[in-house]
Amino acid sequence: MGVTCVSQMPVAEGKSVQQTVELLTRKLEMLGAEKQGTFCVDCETYHTAASTLGGQGQAGKLMYVMHNSEYPLSCFALFENGPCLIADTNFDVLMVKLKGFFQSAKASKIETRGTRYQYCDFLVKVGTVTMGPSARGISVEVEYGPCVVASDCWSLLLEFLQSFLGSHTPGAPTVFGNRHDAVYGPADTMIQYMELFNKIRKQQQVPVAGIR
Amino acid sequence: MEAPPVTMMPVTGGTINMMEYLLQGSVLDHSLESLIHRLRGLCDNMEPETFLDHEMVFLLKGQQASPFVLRARRSMDRAGAPWHLRYLGQPEMGDKNRHALVRNCVDIATSENLTDFLMEMGFRMDHEFVAKGHLFRKGIMKIVVYKIFRILVPGNTDSTEALSLSYLVELSVVAPAGQDMVSDDMRNFAEQLKPLVHLEKIDPKRLM
Repeated sequence: MGVTCVSQMPVAEGKSVQQTVELLTRKLEMLGAEKQGTFCVDCETYHTAASTLGGQGQAGKLMYVMHNSEYPLSCFALFENGPCLIADTNFDVLMVKLKGFFQSAKASKIETRGTRYQYCDFLVKVGTVTMGPSARGISVEVEYGPCVVASDCWSLLLEFLQSFLGSHTPGAPTVFGNRHDAVYGPADTMIQYMELFNKIRKQQQVPVAGIR
Repeated sequence: MEAPPVTMMPVTGGTINMMEYLLQGSVLDHSLESLIHRLRGLCDNMEPETFLDHEMVFLLKGQQASPFVLRARRSMDRAGAPWHLRYLGQPEMGDKNRHALVRNCVDIATSENLTDFLMEMGFRMDHEFVAKGHLFRKGIMKIVVYKIFRILVPGNTDSTEALSLSYLVELSVVAPAGQDMVSDDMRNFAEQLKPLVHLEKIDPKRLM
Protein backbone atom coordinates (compact mmCIF):
# COMPACT_ATOMS: atom_id res chain seq x y z
CA MET A 1 0.00 0.00 0.00
CA GLY A 2 1.27 3.47 -0.87
CA VAL A 3 1.30 6.51 1.40
CA THR A 4 -2.29 7.39 2.25
CA CYS A 5 -4.02 10.41 3.72
CA VAL A 6 -7.47 10.05 5.29
CA SER A 7 -9.39 13.21 6.05
CA GLN A 8 -12.86 14.54 6.63
CA MET A 9 -14.70 16.73 4.16
CA PRO A 10 -17.09 19.09 5.92
CA VAL A 11 -20.64 19.14 4.57
CA ALA A 12 -21.17 22.13 2.23
CA GLU A 13 -23.25 25.08 3.51
CA GLY A 14 -26.91 24.45 2.95
CA LYS A 15 -26.35 21.08 1.34
CA SER A 16 -26.88 17.51 2.54
CA VAL A 17 -24.19 14.87 3.01
CA GLN A 18 -25.24 13.14 -0.20
CA GLN A 19 -25.14 16.37 -2.21
CA THR A 20 -21.66 17.21 -0.95
CA VAL A 21 -20.45 13.72 -1.88
CA GLU A 22 -21.90 14.22 -5.36
CA LEU A 23 -20.14 17.58 -5.71
CA LEU A 24 -16.81 15.95 -4.84
CA THR A 25 -17.24 12.96 -7.12
CA ARG A 26 -18.26 15.20 -10.01
CA LYS A 27 -15.06 17.22 -9.50
CA LEU A 28 -13.04 14.01 -9.57
CA GLU A 29 -14.73 12.80 -12.73
CA MET A 30 -14.03 16.13 -14.43
CA LEU A 31 -10.38 15.76 -13.48
CA GLY A 32 -10.40 12.48 -15.39
CA ALA A 33 -10.64 9.93 -12.61
CA GLU A 34 -12.16 6.53 -13.43
CA LYS A 35 -14.73 4.88 -11.21
CA GLN A 36 -13.45 1.49 -10.02
CA GLY A 37 -15.99 -0.20 -7.79
CA THR A 38 -16.88 0.52 -4.22
CA PHE A 39 -15.19 0.37 -0.84
CA CYS A 40 -16.16 -0.04 2.77
CA VAL A 41 -14.29 0.52 6.03
CA ASP A 42 -16.02 -0.35 9.27
CA CYS A 43 -15.18 -0.16 12.94
CA GLU A 44 -16.59 -1.82 16.03
CA THR A 45 -15.73 -0.78 19.53
CA TYR A 46 -15.12 -3.11 22.47
CA HIS A 47 -14.40 -2.21 26.03
CA THR A 48 -13.00 -4.37 28.79
CA ALA A 49 -15.82 -5.78 30.88
CA ALA A 50 -15.92 -4.48 34.45
CA SER A 51 -15.22 -7.99 35.76
CA THR A 52 -11.76 -8.13 34.19
CA LEU A 53 -10.64 -4.81 35.66
CA GLY A 54 -10.90 -6.08 39.24
CA GLY A 55 -7.57 -5.82 40.98
CA GLN A 56 -5.65 -4.47 38.01
CA GLY A 57 -6.49 -0.91 38.91
CA GLN A 58 -6.47 0.32 35.32
CA ALA A 59 -9.21 2.22 33.56
CA GLY A 60 -11.15 0.26 30.95
CA LYS A 61 -9.49 0.43 27.57
CA LEU A 62 -11.24 0.75 24.23
CA MET A 63 -10.34 -1.73 21.56
CA TYR A 64 -11.32 -1.10 17.95
CA VAL A 65 -11.83 -3.97 15.51
CA MET A 66 -11.85 -2.74 11.93
CA HIS A 67 -12.21 -4.14 8.45
CA ASN A 68 -11.19 -2.64 5.10
CA SER A 69 -12.61 -3.92 1.82
CA GLU A 70 -9.21 -3.26 0.25
CA TYR A 71 -7.92 -6.17 2.38
CA PRO A 72 -10.91 -8.52 2.47
CA LEU A 73 -9.14 -11.38 4.23
CA SER A 74 -7.78 -9.23 7.05
CA CYS A 75 -9.00 -7.82 10.30
CA PHE A 76 -7.34 -4.94 12.13
CA ALA A 77 -7.49 -4.64 15.91
CA LEU A 78 -6.14 -1.57 17.62
CA PHE A 79 -5.92 0.41 20.80
CA GLU A 80 -5.74 4.19 20.77
CA ASN A 81 -2.02 5.10 21.13
CA GLY A 82 -1.35 1.39 21.28
CA PRO A 83 -0.31 -1.42 18.97
CA CYS A 84 -2.31 -2.29 15.84
CA LEU A 85 -2.64 -6.01 15.20
CA ILE A 86 -3.21 -7.30 11.69
CA ALA A 87 -4.89 -10.70 11.73
CA ASP A 88 -7.03 -12.84 9.46
CA THR A 89 -10.82 -12.83 9.61
CA ASN A 90 -10.92 -15.59 12.24
CA PHE A 91 -10.13 -12.81 14.71
CA ASP A 92 -13.84 -11.92 14.58
CA VAL A 93 -14.67 -15.47 15.66
CA LEU A 94 -12.26 -15.09 18.57
CA MET A 95 -13.99 -11.87 19.66
CA VAL A 96 -17.24 -13.84 19.88
CA LYS A 97 -15.50 -16.29 22.24
CA LEU A 98 -14.18 -13.39 24.29
CA LYS A 99 -17.72 -12.06 24.85
CA GLY A 100 -17.46 -12.28 28.59
CA PHE A 101 -14.26 -10.25 28.78
CA PHE A 102 -14.83 -7.67 26.06
CA GLN A 103 -18.20 -6.12 25.60
CA SER A 104 -19.13 -4.76 22.23
CA ALA A 105 -20.64 -1.30 22.36
CA LYS A 106 -23.20 -2.19 19.70
CA ALA A 107 -24.49 1.33 19.23
CA SER A 108 -21.11 2.67 18.28
CA LYS A 109 -20.53 0.57 15.14
CA ILE A 110 -19.48 3.08 12.51
CA GLU A 111 -18.66 2.63 8.83
CA THR A 112 -17.89 4.51 5.67
CA ARG A 113 -19.02 3.37 2.24
CA GLY A 114 -18.55 4.90 -1.17
CA THR A 115 -16.89 4.79 -4.57
CA ARG A 116 -13.28 4.17 -5.53
CA TYR A 117 -11.70 6.38 -8.17
CA GLN A 118 -8.40 5.73 -9.93
CA TYR A 119 -6.58 8.78 -11.26
CA CYS A 120 -3.16 7.81 -12.65
CA ASP A 121 -1.15 6.77 -9.58
CA PHE A 122 -3.70 8.07 -7.11
CA LEU A 123 -6.52 6.03 -5.62
CA VAL A 124 -9.27 8.23 -4.21
CA LYS A 125 -12.10 6.96 -2.04
CA VAL A 126 -14.98 9.22 -1.09
CA GLY A 127 -17.33 7.70 1.45
CA THR A 128 -20.37 8.55 3.53
CA VAL A 129 -19.74 7.89 7.21
CA THR A 130 -22.78 6.34 8.87
CA MET A 131 -23.66 5.25 12.37
CA GLY A 132 -26.71 3.05 12.19
CA PRO A 133 -29.23 4.67 9.88
CA SER A 134 -27.86 8.22 10.06
CA ALA A 135 -25.21 9.78 7.84
CA ARG A 136 -22.71 11.61 10.04
CA GLY A 137 -20.07 12.92 7.66
CA ILE A 138 -17.83 12.40 4.67
CA SER A 139 -14.46 10.65 4.55
CA VAL A 140 -11.89 11.21 1.82
CA GLU A 141 -8.97 8.80 1.42
CA VAL A 142 -6.20 9.46 -1.09
CA GLU A 143 -3.44 6.93 -1.72
CA TYR A 144 -0.33 7.57 -3.77
CA GLY A 145 0.54 4.04 -4.88
CA PRO A 146 4.17 4.23 -6.02
CA CYS A 147 5.64 5.57 -2.79
CA VAL A 148 5.79 4.04 0.68
CA VAL A 149 7.82 6.64 2.52
CA ALA A 150 5.74 9.57 3.75
CA SER A 151 8.42 12.23 3.66
CA ASP A 152 9.23 11.47 0.02
CA CYS A 153 5.78 12.20 -1.38
CA TRP A 154 3.80 14.28 1.10
CA SER A 155 4.19 17.50 -0.93
CA LEU A 156 2.95 15.72 -4.06
CA LEU A 157 -0.03 14.29 -2.19
CA LEU A 158 -0.79 17.71 -0.73
CA GLU A 159 -0.78 19.31 -4.17
CA PHE A 160 -3.18 16.68 -5.50
CA LEU A 161 -5.47 17.05 -2.48
CA GLN A 162 -5.60 20.79 -3.01
CA SER A 163 -6.65 20.33 -6.63
CA PHE A 164 -10.00 18.88 -5.67
CA LEU A 165 -10.51 19.62 -1.96
CA GLY A 166 -9.47 23.26 -2.20
CA SER A 167 -9.65 24.99 1.15
CA HIS A 168 -10.64 21.79 2.92
CA THR A 169 -7.23 20.23 2.35
CA PRO A 170 -5.98 18.63 5.57
CA GLY A 171 -2.58 18.95 7.19
CA ALA A 172 -0.09 16.06 7.41
CA PRO A 173 -1.67 13.09 9.22
CA THR A 174 -0.35 12.48 12.73
CA VAL A 175 0.60 8.90 11.84
CA PHE A 176 3.43 10.28 9.70
CA GLY A 177 4.69 11.64 12.99
CA ASN A 178 8.39 11.95 13.59
CA ARG A 179 9.40 8.77 11.80
CA HIS A 180 9.38 10.31 8.34
CA ASP A 181 11.55 7.60 6.91
CA ALA A 182 9.50 4.67 8.13
CA VAL A 183 7.74 2.49 5.58
CA TYR A 184 4.01 3.25 5.41
CA GLY A 185 1.64 0.32 5.89
CA PRO A 186 -2.06 -0.56 5.99
CA ALA A 187 -2.06 -0.33 9.80
CA ASP A 188 -1.28 3.41 9.47
CA THR A 189 -4.35 3.86 7.26
CA MET A 190 -6.56 2.08 9.79
CA ILE A 191 -5.22 4.31 12.58
CA GLN A 192 -6.19 7.34 10.50
CA TYR A 193 -9.69 5.95 10.00
CA MET A 194 -10.00 5.26 13.73
CA GLU A 195 -9.07 8.87 14.51
CA LEU A 196 -11.54 10.11 11.90
CA PHE A 197 -14.37 7.96 13.24
CA ASN A 198 -13.69 9.11 16.79
CA LYS A 199 -13.77 12.72 15.69
CA ILE A 200 -17.06 12.22 13.85
CA ARG A 201 -18.61 10.36 16.78
CA LYS A 202 -17.98 13.34 19.00
CA GLN A 203 -19.39 15.83 16.51
CA GLN A 204 -22.95 17.05 16.58
CA GLN A 205 -25.32 14.94 14.54
CA VAL A 206 -25.71 16.26 10.97
CA PRO A 207 -29.11 18.00 10.56
CA VAL A 208 -32.08 15.89 9.38
CA ALA A 209 -31.62 16.90 5.73
CA GLY A 210 -28.51 14.73 5.61
CA ILE A 211 -30.32 11.46 6.22
CA ARG A 212 -31.89 11.14 2.82
CA MET B 1 -19.62 -17.86 30.37
CA GLU B 2 -17.90 -20.14 27.88
CA ALA B 3 -19.57 -20.23 24.46
CA PRO B 4 -22.29 -22.90 24.30
CA PRO B 5 -21.29 -26.43 23.23
CA VAL B 6 -20.39 -26.32 19.59
CA THR B 7 -20.21 -29.97 18.55
CA MET B 8 -23.68 -29.97 17.14
CA MET B 9 -23.59 -26.51 15.66
CA PRO B 10 -21.66 -26.40 12.41
CA VAL B 11 -22.47 -22.75 11.85
CA THR B 12 -22.93 -20.07 14.47
CA GLY B 13 -23.48 -16.46 13.62
CA GLY B 14 -22.28 -16.86 10.06
CA THR B 15 -18.97 -18.57 10.84
CA ILE B 16 -18.18 -22.27 10.74
CA ASN B 17 -17.17 -23.80 14.08
CA MET B 18 -13.97 -25.74 13.59
CA MET B 19 -13.16 -28.63 15.87
CA GLU B 20 -9.78 -30.17 16.55
CA TYR B 21 -9.73 -33.96 16.84
CA LEU B 22 -6.67 -35.15 18.73
CA LEU B 23 -4.85 -38.37 19.62
CA GLN B 24 -1.61 -38.31 21.58
CA GLY B 25 1.18 -40.65 22.52
CA SER B 26 4.91 -40.63 23.09
CA VAL B 27 8.10 -42.49 22.17
CA LEU B 28 11.45 -42.66 23.92
CA ASP B 29 14.36 -40.95 22.16
CA HIS B 30 15.94 -44.18 20.98
CA SER B 31 12.75 -45.25 19.16
CA LEU B 32 12.45 -42.00 17.22
CA GLU B 33 14.20 -43.18 14.06
CA SER B 34 11.99 -46.25 13.56
CA LEU B 35 8.87 -44.15 14.09
CA ILE B 36 10.00 -41.52 11.57
CA HIS B 37 10.82 -44.28 9.12
CA ARG B 38 7.34 -45.79 9.40
CA LEU B 39 5.65 -42.41 9.17
CA ARG B 40 7.61 -41.59 6.04
CA GLY B 41 6.25 -44.75 4.50
CA LEU B 42 2.63 -44.29 5.59
CA CYS B 43 2.21 -40.57 5.05
CA ASP B 44 1.92 -38.37 1.97
CA ASN B 45 5.04 -38.20 -0.11
CA MET B 46 6.80 -34.90 0.51
CA GLU B 47 10.16 -33.49 1.55
CA PRO B 48 10.77 -34.27 5.22
CA GLU B 49 9.65 -31.22 7.11
CA THR B 50 11.14 -30.15 10.42
CA PHE B 51 10.13 -27.23 12.58
CA LEU B 52 11.42 -25.18 15.46
CA ASP B 53 8.69 -23.18 17.16
CA HIS B 54 8.47 -20.98 20.21
CA GLU B 55 5.08 -21.07 21.92
CA MET B 56 3.81 -18.75 24.64
CA VAL B 57 0.64 -19.41 26.58
CA PHE B 58 -1.32 -16.35 27.72
CA LEU B 59 -4.07 -16.16 30.33
CA LEU B 60 -6.77 -13.56 30.86
CA LYS B 61 -8.18 -13.66 34.35
CA GLY B 62 -11.69 -12.43 34.86
CA GLN B 63 -14.50 -12.90 37.29
CA GLN B 64 -15.02 -16.43 36.02
CA ALA B 65 -13.22 -19.23 37.82
CA SER B 66 -11.35 -20.38 34.74
CA PRO B 67 -9.11 -17.92 32.91
CA PHE B 68 -9.26 -17.55 29.13
CA VAL B 69 -6.28 -19.27 27.49
CA LEU B 70 -4.68 -18.25 24.21
CA ARG B 71 -1.60 -19.78 22.59
CA ALA B 72 0.77 -17.65 20.54
CA ARG B 73 3.25 -19.53 18.39
CA ARG B 74 6.04 -18.29 16.18
CA SER B 75 8.44 -20.08 13.90
CA MET B 76 12.09 -19.69 14.85
CA ASP B 77 13.44 -21.15 11.63
CA ARG B 78 11.16 -19.67 8.98
CA ALA B 79 11.71 -15.95 8.64
CA GLY B 80 8.67 -13.97 7.61
CA ALA B 81 6.09 -16.57 8.59
CA PRO B 82 3.11 -15.03 10.40
CA TRP B 83 2.56 -15.66 14.08
CA HIS B 84 -0.12 -18.20 14.91
CA LEU B 85 -2.72 -17.48 17.57
CA ARG B 86 -4.83 -20.39 18.75
CA TYR B 87 -7.84 -20.75 20.98
CA LEU B 88 -8.77 -24.24 22.19
CA GLY B 89 -12.06 -24.84 23.92
CA GLN B 90 -12.90 -27.39 26.59
CA PRO B 91 -12.89 -30.99 25.36
CA GLU B 92 -16.40 -32.06 24.40
CA MET B 93 -17.42 -34.75 26.79
CA GLY B 94 -20.13 -37.22 26.17
CA ASP B 95 -19.74 -39.83 23.47
CA LYS B 96 -17.49 -42.50 24.96
CA ASN B 97 -17.43 -44.19 21.56
CA ARG B 98 -15.76 -41.21 19.98
CA HIS B 99 -12.16 -42.25 19.48
CA ALA B 100 -10.46 -38.88 19.63
CA LEU B 101 -10.43 -35.88 21.93
CA VAL B 102 -12.63 -33.19 20.36
CA ARG B 103 -12.46 -29.51 21.15
CA ASN B 104 -13.46 -26.26 19.51
CA CYS B 105 -10.55 -24.47 17.93
CA VAL B 106 -9.98 -21.07 16.35
CA ASP B 107 -6.75 -20.48 14.42
CA ILE B 108 -5.67 -16.98 13.52
CA ALA B 109 -2.61 -15.80 11.60
CA THR B 110 -1.35 -12.48 12.92
CA SER B 111 1.35 -9.85 12.52
CA GLU B 112 4.49 -9.87 14.67
CA ASN B 113 3.30 -7.51 17.39
CA LEU B 114 0.98 -10.19 18.77
CA THR B 115 2.52 -10.38 22.25
CA ASP B 116 2.40 -6.60 22.73
CA PHE B 117 -1.20 -6.62 21.62
CA LEU B 118 -2.21 -9.46 23.93
CA MET B 119 -0.59 -7.65 26.89
CA GLU B 120 -2.53 -4.51 25.97
CA MET B 121 -5.73 -6.59 26.01
CA GLY B 122 -4.93 -7.66 29.55
CA PHE B 123 -3.45 -11.12 28.91
CA ARG B 124 -0.40 -12.18 30.91
CA MET B 125 2.07 -14.86 29.86
CA ASP B 126 1.71 -17.99 31.93
CA HIS B 127 4.48 -20.14 30.48
CA GLU B 128 6.47 -20.69 27.32
CA PHE B 129 8.41 -23.50 25.65
CA VAL B 130 10.25 -24.41 22.49
CA ALA B 131 9.05 -27.30 20.31
CA LYS B 132 11.41 -28.95 17.86
CA GLY B 133 10.45 -31.84 15.64
CA HIS B 134 9.04 -33.32 12.48
CA LEU B 135 5.80 -32.78 10.61
CA PHE B 136 3.94 -35.29 8.42
CA ARG B 137 0.62 -35.18 6.61
CA LYS B 138 -1.83 -37.80 5.39
CA GLY B 139 -4.79 -36.23 3.65
CA ILE B 140 -6.36 -33.95 6.24
CA MET B 141 -4.51 -35.61 9.12
CA LYS B 142 -1.46 -33.95 10.57
CA ILE B 143 1.12 -35.93 12.51
CA VAL B 144 3.74 -34.13 14.56
CA VAL B 145 6.60 -35.76 16.45
CA TYR B 146 8.36 -33.22 18.63
CA LYS B 147 10.41 -32.62 21.72
CA ILE B 148 9.54 -29.95 24.25
CA PHE B 149 12.29 -27.75 25.64
CA ARG B 150 12.00 -25.73 28.80
CA ILE B 151 13.21 -22.14 28.49
CA LEU B 152 15.66 -21.45 31.32
CA VAL B 153 15.68 -17.66 31.15
CA PRO B 154 12.28 -16.10 30.33
CA GLY B 155 12.36 -14.64 26.85
CA ASN B 156 15.70 -16.16 25.90
CA THR B 157 15.12 -18.99 23.45
CA ASP B 158 18.81 -19.81 23.11
CA SER B 159 19.21 -21.43 26.50
CA THR B 160 16.84 -24.36 26.63
CA GLU B 161 16.80 -27.75 28.23
CA ALA B 162 14.86 -30.82 27.11
CA LEU B 163 11.87 -31.55 29.31
CA SER B 164 12.12 -35.32 28.99
CA LEU B 165 13.93 -38.16 27.23
CA SER B 166 11.01 -38.69 24.87
CA TYR B 167 9.17 -37.24 21.93
CA LEU B 168 5.51 -36.29 21.97
CA VAL B 169 3.48 -37.69 19.07
CA GLU B 170 0.23 -36.00 18.09
CA LEU B 171 -2.26 -36.96 15.39
CA SER B 172 -4.75 -34.19 14.74
CA VAL B 173 -7.39 -33.05 12.29
CA VAL B 174 -9.12 -29.68 12.17
CA ALA B 175 -12.57 -30.10 10.62
CA PRO B 176 -15.99 -28.43 10.78
CA ALA B 177 -18.18 -29.43 13.71
CA GLY B 178 -20.37 -32.48 13.35
CA GLN B 179 -18.02 -34.66 11.28
CA ASP B 180 -17.41 -37.48 13.71
CA MET B 181 -16.35 -40.02 11.09
CA VAL B 182 -13.02 -38.19 11.14
CA SER B 183 -12.16 -39.84 14.44
CA ASP B 184 -12.72 -43.29 12.89
CA ASP B 185 -10.17 -42.53 10.16
CA MET B 186 -7.77 -41.33 12.84
CA ARG B 187 -8.21 -44.50 14.85
CA ASN B 188 -7.53 -46.63 11.77
CA PHE B 189 -4.33 -44.72 11.08
CA ALA B 190 -3.24 -44.96 14.69
CA GLU B 191 -3.63 -48.78 14.47
CA GLN B 192 -0.94 -48.81 11.78
CA LEU B 193 1.54 -47.13 14.09
CA LYS B 194 1.29 -49.82 16.76
CA PRO B 195 3.38 -51.12 18.44
CA LEU B 196 5.90 -48.32 17.81
CA VAL B 197 3.61 -45.81 19.48
CA HIS B 198 0.20 -46.05 21.09
CA LEU B 199 -1.90 -43.04 20.22
CA GLU B 200 -4.89 -42.56 22.44
CA LYS B 201 -7.44 -40.04 23.60
CA ILE B 202 -5.97 -38.45 26.70
CA ASP B 203 -8.33 -36.48 28.88
CA PRO B 204 -6.33 -33.51 30.25
CA LYS B 205 -8.54 -33.34 33.34
CA ARG B 206 -7.50 -36.81 34.44
CA LEU B 207 -3.88 -35.69 34.54
CA MET B 208 -4.41 -32.88 37.03
